[in-house]
Amino acid sequence: METICLPLAPSHRARLVSAGYRTLDSFNNLSPLDLARDIGVSSEEALDILKVAWRTKAIDGNSPKGANLLAGAKTAWDLLCEEKTMKRIVTFCEDLDVILGGGICRKEVTEVGGVPGIGKTQLGIQLAINVQIPVDLGGLGGQAIYIDTEGSFMVERVCQIAKACIEKLKDIPCTSERKVEECHTKLKVDDFLSNIFYFRACNYTEQIAVINYMDKFIEERDKVKIIIVDSVTFHFRQDFEDLALRTRLLGGMSQKLMRLAEEYDTAVVLMNQVTTKFSGGSFQLALALGESWSHACTNRVVLYWNGDNRFGYIDKSPSLQSASAPFSITTGGICNLERNKRIKMA
Amino acid sequence: MAPLRALNLPILTRQVLQFLAANGILSVEDFLVHDIYTLAARTEHQTNSEVLKQAIAEILSFIDSQHSRWLNGAQLLENLQQTVHVLPTGCEGLDSLLGGGLLEGTLTELVGPSASGKTQICLRAASHIAYHSQAAVMYLDTCNSFSSKRIAQFLNVLAKSSIKSKDQQGNIERAMKGIFHYNVFDVYSMLDLLYQIESSMQTQGKNESSRVRLLIVDSVSSVITPILSGSNLQGHSLMISLGVVLKKLALEYSIAVLITNHIVVDKTGTSKPALGESWKSMPHVRLLLSRDPVSNICDMSLLKHTSMVCDQQASLSLNS
Repeated sequence: METICLPLAPSHRARLVSAGYRTLDSFNNLSPLDLARDIGVSSEEALDILKVAWRTKAIDGNSPKGANLLAGAKTAWDLLCEEKTMKRIVTFCEDLDVILGGGICRKEVTEVGGVPGIGKTQLGIQLAINVQIPVDLGGLGGQAIYIDTEGSFMVERVCQIAKACIEKLKDIPCTSERKVEECHTKLKVDDFLSNIFYFRACNYTEQIAVINYMDKFIEERDKVKIIIVDSVTFHFRQDFEDLALRTRLLGGMSQKLMRLAEEYDTAVVLMNQVTTKFSGGSFQLALALGESWSHACTNRVVLYWNGDNRFGYIDKSPSLQSASAPFSITTGGICNLERNKRIKMA
Repeated sequence: MAPLRALNLPILTRQVLQFLAANGILSVEDFLVHDIYTLAARTEHQTNSEVLKQAIAEILSFIDSQHSRWLNGAQLLENLQQTVHVLPTGCEGLDSLLGGGLLEGTLTELVGPSASGKTQICLRAASHIAYHSQAAVMYLDTCNSFSSKRIAQFLNVLAKSSIKSKDQQGNIERAMKGIFHYNVFDVYSMLDLLYQIESSMQTQGKNESSRVRLLIVDSVSSVITPILSGSNLQGHSLMISLGVVLKKLALEYSIAVLITNHIVVDKTGTSKPALGESWKSMPHVRLLLSRDPVSNICDMSLLKHTSMVCDQQASLSLNS
C-alpha cells in the first residue's frame, strides 16, 4: 500500500513522499518525534499521520490472505451457481423478456435509451410494479426506488398499471397451492404504490446526493430490488460549461451505481435520452452523454420506432446476443405486440 | 525511495542520522543525489568525523550491493525462448495478430468504443487460458460486465472440440473454479487489491500448478476517469502508480496482463484512446477494436507493439 492512497492532507502527503515515506511499511517502528523531525511538522500532526497509517494497516492486515483467494474474490463457478438461482424482473412483454434472457437482471446496470415518447418512463413504471409481484406468484416480492429527474412520473398512470398487473396475475397459478385465493386477494393497488420510493431530483447536485444517499436508504430496507433513474441524462445536458467536470461526475456516478447493484443485489435501470452524432458523412441518432458514459452500463437496450411499432434492441451485453423484439404500450402497461392487436380487433 | 532508517544498518546510529538530516538527507534518494565528497568534507568539522566517514562508505557499499544482476542480450533472448510462455487466447484473429497470443510479462491493452467486443475478448481469453493451461486467472471487473454464463458458453464449446478428454463436465467445473472474479469500483481499492495480490504471490512463490498466469482488468479507464483532471495532480499520480504496479506484477511474476481502455473524441472529432499521453507508454501492446453492428464482426488493428509491425489488421466474429 502506498502513501499516496492514505486519506491525508495533500501537503502532508507531499512531505511524506519527498522524505522517502512512500509505502506503508516505511512507517514501521517509527516514533511520532522522528516523523515530525523528518517531514517538518509538529509532533501532534505527525501522530495523526501515524494513526491514519496504523489504522489503514490494521484493516489491511485483517483481510484474509488465502492461497489464491483474496478478500472479495469469487470464482466463476460460484457466480454461475449464484446466477442460476437469481430471479429476473419481467417486463410483461414476452418477446422483450426473451431477448433479455428472461427479464431485467439483478446485480447489473441496464441502460434504456430512446427518442421521446417511445416508452422509457412507461417501462420504468412497469418495472417498478413488476418487481413487487409476490414470491408465491413467481415474482420477487421486492420494493422499488424511483429517482425522477424530469418530473414525468405520474401517479395516475402507476395506479392504472398496478390495476392491470393485478388482473394479469389472476391468470397465473399460485406456486404454493394451499392459499391460491389468499395470495390473489392480498394484492392491492395501495400496497403497490406504497412500495415505490420516489425521489425527485431538481438539479444534478441533488441527483448525485440522492445516489450517494442510496447506501443508507437500502441498508434500512433490504427488500429494495430495483433502482430506476429516469432519466440520468436530463440535468447533465444543460448548463454544463466544463465538459471535463461533467465526464468526471458522470464517471463517479456510474461507479457508484454499479457498486450499489453489486452490493445490494439490486437491478439498476438508467433511462437515457438520444442525441444526433455525425459519423460516416451523415447524422445518426445515438445515446446522449458521449463516449465515456457509454461504458457505464452492463447491458444497453435501445428502444426505437419501426413503422408504427415500438421495438427494443439489445445494443450491448456481455452475455446476450444482439437481437430486437417488438413491444407495445397499452392502458395496462407494457405488453406483447400481438396481444395488443387482438384487443383492437375485439 | 525509502528513508535511510529503513536500511537497518547497524552503523546508522542516531548521531549519524542526525548529521545526515542536518544536511538535508532523509531518504536513500537524497543520499544518492547528494555530492558525497562535499558531505565527506563536512564531516571534518564534526567531533566524530571518523565514524561518519565510515558510515557514508558503508551506506554506499550497501546500496551498491543492491542492484540487480546485469543481463546481456543473449541471456535475455534465452530467457524469452525458454521461460516466457505465449498464452493463446482462443480468438484466432487476435492470436495471429499477436504472434501466438498474450505474452507473459507484458501488458496488453484493448482499446475500443462501447460494445466493440473488449469484454468478449477478455472473457474468451480467461476461459481459454483457464481451460488449457489449468492456471488461475484473476479478473478485476470495474464495470459489472463479467458474465459467468458467457464463460460457461465458451467452455462448453472448448470441451466439445476436445473429444479425447472424457470428463467434460469436470473439466469445465475445474476451469471455472480457476477464474477468480473481483468487483472493484474505485482506484483505491484497485491499488489495494493489486498490492494484496502481490504480497500473496510473494508468499506463495512460483508454485507452477496453481500459478496465476493471466490478470485481466476490465476496464482501467472506468476507475481513472472520475479522478483525472488537469488541475488534480493526485489523480494523475494514482493513474501512473496503477500502471507501474500492473507492469511490476507482470514482470516479476511473469503474468500476462490484459487491460481494456475506452475511447475519447477530441475537439476535432477524431477518436483516440482515453487516459492521454502519459498512459500511452504503459501498455506494451495496444490494440484498437471496432465492431460492425450489422455483421457483428469485430475488427482489430495493432496500434503499438514492442516487437511486431504495427497497423496490421485482423477480424473476429463475436457470435458463439
